[in-house]
Amino acid sequence: MSTALRSVRAEWTKLRTTPGPAWLLLVTAVVTVALGAAVSAAATCPHDGCGIDVARLILSGVYLGQAPVAVLAVLAVSGEYSTALIRTTLTAMPSRPAVLGAKALVLGVAVAAIGSLAVLGSLLVAGVLLPRHGFTPEHGYPGLSLADGPVLRASGGTVAYLVLVAILSLGAAAVVRDSGAAIGSVLGLLYLPPLVTQLVTDPDLHRRLEQLAPMSAGLAVQATTGLHQLPIGPWAGLGVLAAWSAGALLAGTALLRHRDT
Amino acid sequence: MSDATIEVAGLRKRYGPTTALDGMTFTAAPGRVTGFVGPNGAGKSTTMRIILGLHAADAGQALVGGRPYRSLRCPLRHLGTLLDAAALHPARTGRNHLLWLAQSQGLGARRVDEVVERVGLASASRRPAGGYSLGMRQRLGLAAALLADPPAIMLDEPFNGMDPEGIVWLRDFLRALAGQGRAVLVSSHLMSELQGMADHVVVVGRGRVIADSSVAGLIAAASGDRVRVRTSAPQPAAAALSTAGAQVTRAGDDVLAVRGLPAERVVAVLTAGGLPFSELAPHRATLEEVYLELTRDAVEYRAAAAGAAS
Amino acid sequence: MRLLRAEWTKFRSVPGWVRGSVVAALLILLFPIAGLGGGAPDQASPVPIGPHGGPVSSGYFFVHRPLSGDGRITVAVSALTSVRGDGAATPWAKAGLIVTAGPEPGARYAAIMVTGGHGVRMQHDYVHDRGGRPGAVSADAPRWLRLTRSGDTVTGEESPDGERWNEVATVRLPGLAATVQAGLFVACPQHVEGIGTAGDAATAAFGAPRLTGGWSAAGWAGDQVGAGTATFAGYPRGTTGSFAPAGDGFTVTGAGDLAPATRSELPVGAAAGDVLFGTFPALVVIVVVATLMITTEYRYGMIRSTLSAGNRRVRILAAKAAVVAGVTFTTCLVAAALAVPLWLRVVRGLGVYVFPVTSGAALRAEVGTAALLAVAAVFALAVGTILRRSATAVTTVVAAVVLPYLLALTPFLPPSMAVWLTRFTPAAAMAVQQTLVRYPQVDGLYTPAAGYYPLPPWAGLAVLGGYTALAFAVAAVLLCRRDA
Repeated sequence: MSTALRSVRAEWTKLRTTPGPAWLLLVTAVVTVALGAAVSAAATCPHDGCGIDVARLILSGVYLGQAPVAVLAVLAVSGEYSTALIRTTLTAMPSRPAVLGAKALVLGVAVAAIGSLAVLGSLLVAGVLLPRHGFTPEHGYPGLSLADGPVLRASGGTVAYLVLVAILSLGAAAVVRDSGAAIGSVLGLLYLPPLVTQLVTDPDLHRRLEQLAPMSAGLAVQATTGLHQLPIGPWAGLGVLAAWSAGALLAGTALLRHRDT
Repeated sequence: MSDATIEVAGLRKRYGPTTALDGMTFTAAPGRVTGFVGPNGAGKSTTMRIILGLHAADAGQALVGGRPYRSLRCPLRHLGTLLDAAALHPARTGRNHLLWLAQSQGLGARRVDEVVERVGLASASRRPAGGYSLGMRQRLGLAAALLADPPAIMLDEPFNGMDPEGIVWLRDFLRALAGQGRAVLVSSHLMSELQGMADHVVVVGRGRVIADSSVAGLIAAASGDRVRVRTSAPQPAAAALSTAGAQVTRAGDDVLAVRGLPAERVVAVLTAGGLPFSELAPHRATLEEVYLELTRDAVEYRAAAAGAAS
Repeated sequence: MRLLRAEWTKFRSVPGWVRGSVVAALLILLFPIAGLGGGAPDQASPVPIGPHGGPVSSGYFFVHRPLSGDGRITVAVSALTSVRGDGAATPWAKAGLIVTAGPEPGARYAAIMVTGGHGVRMQHDYVHDRGGRPGAVSADAPRWLRLTRSGDTVTGEESPDGERWNEVATVRLPGLAATVQAGLFVACPQHVEGIGTAGDAATAAFGAPRLTGGWSAAGWAGDQVGAGTATFAGYPRGTTGSFAPAGDGFTVTGAGDLAPATRSELPVGAAAGDVLFGTFPALVVIVVVATLMITTEYRYGMIRSTLSAGNRRVRILAAKAAVVAGVTFTTCLVAAALAVPLWLRVVRGLGVYVFPVTSGAALRAEVGTAALLAVAAVFALAVGTILRRSATAVTTVVAAVVLPYLLALTPFLPPSMAVWLTRFTPAAAMAVQQTLVRYPQVDGLYTPAAGYYPLPPWAGLAVLGGYTALAFAVAAVLLCRRDA
């Protein structure tokens, strides 16, 4: 059996043999659907052409749902540092890239699975709630279907977004090590740029920040209408987040390799 | 070179201004228990971490079976280790802890059950490790070290916190492992823990090897030509023997350790002076004494450094 | 007291925590620099300032002639519609009579008017507003308006039939020159729709104006006032300001407003609260430090020695809270008190208009920001005690305080949600930074994104305080019940 496969099996066993990850995944699904439902319940479309991108509305639950995902990924690394288990791990699997790669893969699969459930749940709940608030075929909202290309992109992209947030958090935790500081950095990186952008009055800089910030860029993938007005296209935005995640993972691997553990 | 040899050559390591290792060199050979002793801070744990590729040495190399640890594909099949018995996720069961380790080496769950049985942890293995006593954690760590049936075993302070019964069990266990032809490297800061178990000791202090010898040889060398004399008049006896050319030290209330005179000359001097003595025997050093003698410098150095720093 | 000293020693002996507090203060002090990147926006048009010193909208179509000394003008209004009003008029579309010191934007005035949705009003000097008879005007139900100037007082009256008059208000315009401009006016503010605004213009039908007193013999002249000002949004496409004789009266079309300017009219203007934007990054850092103060004790088992050193567990938690709150409040107050005047100066220097702020409101924003961060630190400490794990505790606090605010600012989410989030979640505390004033006579976008919060400043902070008290109580109970 190859080193990679052995590492993946070991990391999968680690993930499933403590109760924490399962709870965090459950919390992810619940808060994602709950916030999406709350937003859907608050939205109204009083007349034709009210200009609301319902896919973004329904899937806005990931604003909150990404937080437990980040915790899960941070703990996958920082949790090992706090118990010194990391030394056992690296003693059993001396290949640092294989360890982080296996962790990323295992987390990615788990997050993708729960993310898909959360997205489907949000779509189902919104399918019940939205038509009652004026999102009707007469107002230009024939109902969402995954057979519709942009909706499928928004849904699949949201799942991919959660996976990439997990990988970003994993890399950041490998860099920072302490769980409190790591989660603080990740949440800061995700939540603060959109707030800062509000303050920037220069339109070019504003746009540039929205193109570069991991959350605003990554969530561009949820847009289904008015694509040409977005600061960055759906797939390009997801690509920006992927670059952040890859950078974090590479930095984490490099430090894990060259730092005394 | 055997697959079971742990070899350390010229290791140097600095952490900021402190020198942790200063040319550490020794070999743990197969078929025997090698004791790795020295006071706290002598560099034992650092050496072990470097052997495992956890820390990088500034100079020198550490090889397991002739290869650097990080290049091993299934390292636990070459070297089983117990570094820190407390390094466990509190919510994971002991069995599951061993299971992921086994999977990382391409082994199955059956092997886990075997080692759990072997270290006597079968009844507790399905409980979360957070509830284990220190002794149970040590046994779990030992099970992890034996998991892939390695030809070499390395244990960092395995006796810490063990009850006397456990210490006896572990000694016998490690002797049995060496008897199977494995190299067993055991660190300790108490020489007494190794007495009766280690075949060979590497004594370290201030980051380098002070003595590297078989236990028998070490004791013989330290015992030298010393003679123990029990006397009810230690002061006049010491004076008389000194005059006769011996170096005399008090080894107890009424015991003198005499060096530089053979036993028969000691008897002659004491008889001639009319000094009473009740017992006279060639002195045999304990391993602990040898160790204290050897590491005195290192300990004094640390005490002085601590004094200067505060 | 001993406990307090012990916890203070613990805090200051961890370099990372001390550094964290300093970093938080520096973030407050230096973070606004991020907003300056790219320099100030082009802002060629001037911001009109009213007699009260604040920014005003001062744009309207003015049909006028000079009036020297005292005089009176009476007119009937029989229709008021606006482009986006669907046959009616935008609620604050205005048509009526005005006496003004001059046509320059920001000049003193007094006016009586009918409005689209708020009945007859008497307004003067932009910020003052008095209501008269309610109801809209139509050809069947016209409204007679009468404005009388006497020295520096102006009296406005209205009548349903031109016979029975009711006084709406008498106001004083100090220092009004002998010769003023007076006549008819029409204004129409932007139409607020959802989270955006749309340009609008109103058209009114006036009867023949009746004049008594020192009016000039010259004819009526029609002008757009305030066309070049920053607070004038212009006319919707296809419409321009105009007046035309209709029968013996006039039909007048106008846009703009006579009112205090809010963020909706002046989006590029800066508020004092804006320069405290470093609060959020500082909050994240402080939350991490405060959480670690308790979770590290659990991780290293130090909690046992801490709890055995002093037997009253709640007092230990209180001592920790006092230390972290005290340190946070002090460092952040210094940072905020320096940041506000410093950055407002820099921003003004760049040519950006800054909404006026009273020294009391500025002080409240500074002290309030420090208090917000100190309370958030205690909140984090309490949540850390409850959850015992740093990662989950930090996430819970950040998700409770920062995320609702972020969601409230997210443009595509429903505005009702923004109000709910900034009223009921811990993010309500951000209200303590608001220095902008709302006016009932202006339909602006009073959203958190624009710097307007649903709760008054201290009430917002009290919401966070309430959550903190609750968390602290739960933490205290758990600390006593749980085995360490």
